[in-house]
Amino acid sequence: MNKDVVLSVKNLKTFFYTNQRCNKAVNGVSFDIKRGKTLCIVGESGCGKSVTATSIMRLLPKLSRIEEGSIVYHSDNGDIRLDQLKKNGKNMRKIRGSEIAMIFQDPMTSLNPVYTVGFQIIENLKNHNKMSKREAKEEATRLLRDMGIPLPEQRVDEYPHQYSGGMRQRAMIAMAMSCSPKVLIADEPTTALDVTIQAQIFELMDKLKKENDTAVMMITHDMGVVAEMADDVAVMYMGNVVENGSVDQVLRNPAHPYTKALLDSIPVLGCGKDQVIEPIRGVTPDPFDRPIGCQFGPRCDYYTEKCETMPDEITVDGHMVRCWHYKEVLKDA
Amino acid sequence: MAIGLISALLFLEGVLNLLTYILRRVLYLIPMLLIITFLVYLGLELMPGDAIDFMASPDTIAMMSPEDLDNLRETLGLNDPFIIRYFKWLGQIFQGNFGYSLSTGVAIKDIVFDRLPATVELATIALIFSSLFGSLLGVLSALKRGSLADNALSIAGMIGVSIPQFFFGLVAILFFALQLHWFPHGGRTLPGYETFLDRLPHLILPSLVMSLTMTAGVMRYARTSMLDSMNKDFIKTARSKGVPEWRVNLVHGLRVAMTPVVVLIGFRLPMLIGGAVVIEQIFQWPGIGSEFIGAVRSQNVPLVMMISLLSVSAVLLASVIVDIVTALLDPRVKLD
Amino acid sequence: MENTVVKKKRTKLDRKMDKIKALEESGALKKQKKVNRYLRKFMNNKLAVAGVIVFVIILIACFAAPLFTKYDPGTIDVLNRLQPPTKEHILGTDKLGRDVFTRLLYGGQVSIVVGLGSALGAAFIGVTLGCYAGYKGGLLDNLIMRVSELMMSFPRIILVLLLVTIVGQSLSNLLIIFICTGWASMYRMARAQMLSLREEEYVQALKAFGINDFVIAFKHMLPNALGPISVNITLSTAMFILQETALSYLGLGVPLDISTWGNILNAAQDLRILKESYWMWLPVGLTISLFVLSVNFIGDGLRDSTDPTQQG
Repeated sequence: MNKDVVLSVKNLKTFFYTNQRCNKAVNGVSFDIKRGKTLCIVGESGCGKSVTATSIMRLLPKLSRIEEGSIVYHSDNGDIRLDQLKKNGKNMRKIRGSEIAMIFQDPMTSLNPVYTVGFQIIENLKNHNKMSKREAKEEATRLLRDMGIPLPEQRVDEYPHQYSGGMRQRAMIAMAMSCSPKVLIADEPTTALDVTIQAQIFELMDKLKKENDTAVMMITHDMGVVAEMADDVAVMYMGNVVENGSVDQVLRNPAHPYTKALLDSIPVLGCGKDQVIEPIRGVTPDPFDRPIGCQFGPRCDYYTEKCETMPDEITVDGHMVRCWHYKEVLKDA
Repeated sequence: MAIGLISALLFLEGVLNLLTYILRRVLYLIPMLLIITFLVYLGLELMPGDAIDFMASPDTIAMMSPEDLDNLRETLGLNDPFIIRYFKWLGQIFQGNFGYSLSTGVAIKDIVFDRLPATVELATIALIFSSLFGSLLGVLSALKRGSLADNALSIAGMIGVSIPQFFFGLVAILFFALQLHWFPHGGRTLPGYETFLDRLPHLILPSLVMSLTMTAGVMRYARTSMLDSMNKDFIKTARSKGVPEWRVNLVHGLRVAMTPVVVLIGFRLPMLIGGAVVIEQIFQWPGIGSEFIGAVRSQNVPLVMMISLLSVSAVLLASVIVDIVTALLDPRVKLD
Repeated sequence: MENTVVKKKRTKLDRKMDKIKALEESGALKKQKKVNRYLRKFMNNKLAVAGVIVFVIILIACFAAPLFTKYDPGTIDVLNRLQPPTKEHILGTDKLGRDVFTRLLYGGQVSIVVGLGSALGAAFIGVTLGCYAGYKGGLLDNLIMRVSELMMSFPRIILVLLLVTIVGQSLSNLLIIFICTGWASMYRMARAQMLSLREEEYVQALKAFGINDFVIAFKHMLPNALGPISVNITLSTAMFILQETALSYLGLGVPLDISTWGNILNAAQDLRILKESYWMWLPVGLTISLFVLSVNFIGDGLRDSTDPTQQG
C-alpha cells in the first residue's frame, strides 16, 4: 500500500431511507486521501459530498446506512476498516476526534451554545488524552492563540455567541486540531462566512496542513476554492465521482463533460464582460427518478446510446474519469 | 496566574449581569401587579352593598356607634374619590388587611393563612413529583424512540392528559378508598393526629392524582424537547469528537433540552393552582382551592377577589423565578 | 479489535430498510407521487386513524341521538329512579329516573358544541389579532401582548370562576367567558408564527410592491401558519371540553337544567352515588376521556405528519 495514502475509500454506497423511500445518495464512490495533501471534493448541492464525509466519520443518521464498499484508514497500527467498526464503539470513538477530525459548515449551530468554547475544546482533549483540568485549559488557550484568536485567555471562557463568525470557525478548527489528527475533514467550512474571512481561514488551514503533515479532505461547491486549496480534486455528481486527479490534471484538462461544463459556467475575474459563460443545460435530476446509466446523460453534449450503461472508472496516469467519451472531451478542450 | 485573574473578573461580571437581570424582571412586575390590583378593586367596587361590610370586621361594626362608623369610613377613605380609595385599599393590603369574608365575617387574612399550608403541601408534592418523574420518563422515551417502552409511555401520556383530572380523582376514590379501603376518601386530618405520618394516608391519594396528571404533560413535553435537542448540529459535533454516547445524551442533549422544560413547568404553575381547586373539592381537602369554590358558590365576592389576587401574585412570582433559572441555564439570555 | 467489529447482524431496522430498497429498485414507489405526502403519513399513523374513527362515532352518536335512543333527556320517571343498567335502560337511570344513556348522548351535543365553539371563537379572535399585530409590531402589538400576559397570569379555572361570579351562570355566558379566557394563548401562538414568517423574503417582496399590510398578513402569511394553528384548535377543543366538564361537575358551569357531560357527573359529588350507582357517572367519564383522547390523537397525528425526521 502506498505509504502516503492515509484513507482509502473504495466503492462506497450509502443509502437513505426517509419517508419510506430509498435514496441512493452515494452510489459507488472511490478516492484516496494522501498525507500532507488536500483533496477537494467538489459538486453541486445534493451530489452526496457531505454524505461521503459523514459516512467516513460514521456519523450517519438513524434512517441510513452504508450499503457496500470499504473505508480503510491506514493508521500507525495497521489498516482499520472504518465501515466495519461499531458506529459508536470504543474503537471508532478513539479514532474520531483524535486521528480523524471534522469541522462543519455552520460554526454557530455546530457549537453547543450553553458551554464555553474552552469547555468544548477541553472536552476533546480530555476525551483522548490524560490531562489535568489546568493542563487542558492551558492547552486550549494555546490552541486558540495558534489559530489567531486575540486575547485567548479571555476567549477561552466565553460562549460561542460572543464570538464573531470567523472566530467561531477558528475555534472549531482549534477543537478539531487539538489532538493533532492525521486526517481533517472540512465540510464547506467557509460557506457561511464572508469572502475575506474565507481567505484567512484557508490560509490557516494551509499552515496547519504543512506544519502537521495533516491529510485534508475539503468539501466545497466553489471551484475557486478548489483552484486555491486543492492538491487533488474529485468531482462528484449525483452520488458518483465522475472525475478524479491532481488539480492540474482536472482543472487544466477536464476529461468529463460535467467538469468541463462546470468550468465553462464560471465567470473569470479580469476576463471582462464579454466572456462566454455557458450555464449547464437541463436540471439536476430528482434522486428518486434517476436517469438510467450515466447520471449526467440527459444534460450532456456528448451523449450517445452507449451512455445508458454506467461508465467504468478509466484511469490514465493517475487521472480517473467515468465517461465513455472522455477522449473527445479532452480533444475539445 | 493571568488566566486565574481573568477568570475571576469574568465571573464577577457574570454575577453582576445576573443581578441586573433579576432587578429588571422584578421591576417589570410592578405595573402588572398594579393593573391587576386595580381591576380587582374595580370588581369589588362594582359589587352591590356597602364597602364597609367587607373592609371591617362585622363584630367591630356591630359594636360601633353611627359616629364611630363615620369616622371609620373616613379612615378607610370610603368617602374619597375613586383613585384615593383605590390607593388606600392598596395600602390596607400591604398592611395585611385583606378584608372580611361576606358569609362568615372572618378576616380573609386569617382564612388564607389557615388554609394555605394544606394547598402548599399538595402543590409542592405535585410539582416536585411531576417535574422529576415527568422529565425523566420523557427523556428516556426520547432516547429510546420507537421502542416498546417509548410507545407505551406515549400512550400512557396521552391518556393522562385526556382524562379529566376530577374524573381520575373520582375513580381513584372509588377503587382505592371505597372499594379497597386502602386510603381514606377525603379530609386532611382527624382529631388525634399528631405527626406527619398520621396524616400520610390522607395525603397520598389527592397528591398522587394531582401529580400523575401533571406528569403526563411534562413527560410529553420533555420528550419533544429532548428529541429537538438531539437533532441539533452540535450533537453531531460532539459525536465527531469521539465523545461516548452517554455523555452526548447527558452533557449535550439533556442540558440543552432542560431549558424549555423548565419554562414549561413555569407555565404549568397556573394549571397547578387550578388543579388544586378541583382536587381539593373532590377530596374535601381544606385548602385555598376548596375555600375558593365555596366562595364562588355563595357569591362571596371579596373572598373570591382576594384569592384570585393571591393566586395571580403566586404565578407572577413563579414566572420571575423561572426566568432567573432560565438565565442561569442559558447563557444567551442575559445579554437581553 | 474483535469485540467492536459488527458481524453484519441484520437488525429489525436493517430489514425494514432492505424492504424499502427492494421496493424502490422495482420501481413500485415511483407511482405514489400523486398522493399528498402528509395525508399518507397521517394514514400510516395508526393512532391518528383510530382517533378519527372514535371521534366520528361519538360525534354521530351524539348529534343523531334520536336514532339511538327513544327516550327524551328530560323525561322524569321517579318510580324508576336509580336503576342499574337493564335492557330497557342500557345505562340505567339517575336520581330523577331519567335515562342515563339518553342524557349522555344529548349531553354530548352541548359539551361538544361548547368545546368546539369556544375553540373556534378563541381562535378567530386570537389568530386575527396575532396575525395582524404580530406582523405590524409596534404599539398595538405591545399593548395586546401585555393584555394577553395579564390574562395568562391568572390560573384558568380561577379566572373563569371569577367571571362566573360576576356575570352569573348561563350557557351563553360560559361560551363568552371561555372565549375571553382562551384567545390569549391562540394569540401568542399565531404571533410567534408571524414573527418567524415576517423575515421570509416573499414578505419583503410583497412590501416592496406596495401591497397593503392587511392583505400581506391575512392573504399571504396566514395560510403558511395554518398547520400549527389547526393543530392548536384541535387541542384547544379538547381542553375546553375538559374545562366545561370540570366546571359543570362542580355545578358552576352550564346550568344544571341543560344536560351536558359535566352536569351528569355532578351527581357524583354525593359519595353514596359514587359508590353505589356507578352507572350514572363512570360511563360518562369514560366517554369524555375517550372523546378527548381521540381529539388528542388527531391533533398529534396532524403534528407528526409534518415531521420529516419520523419514519413515516
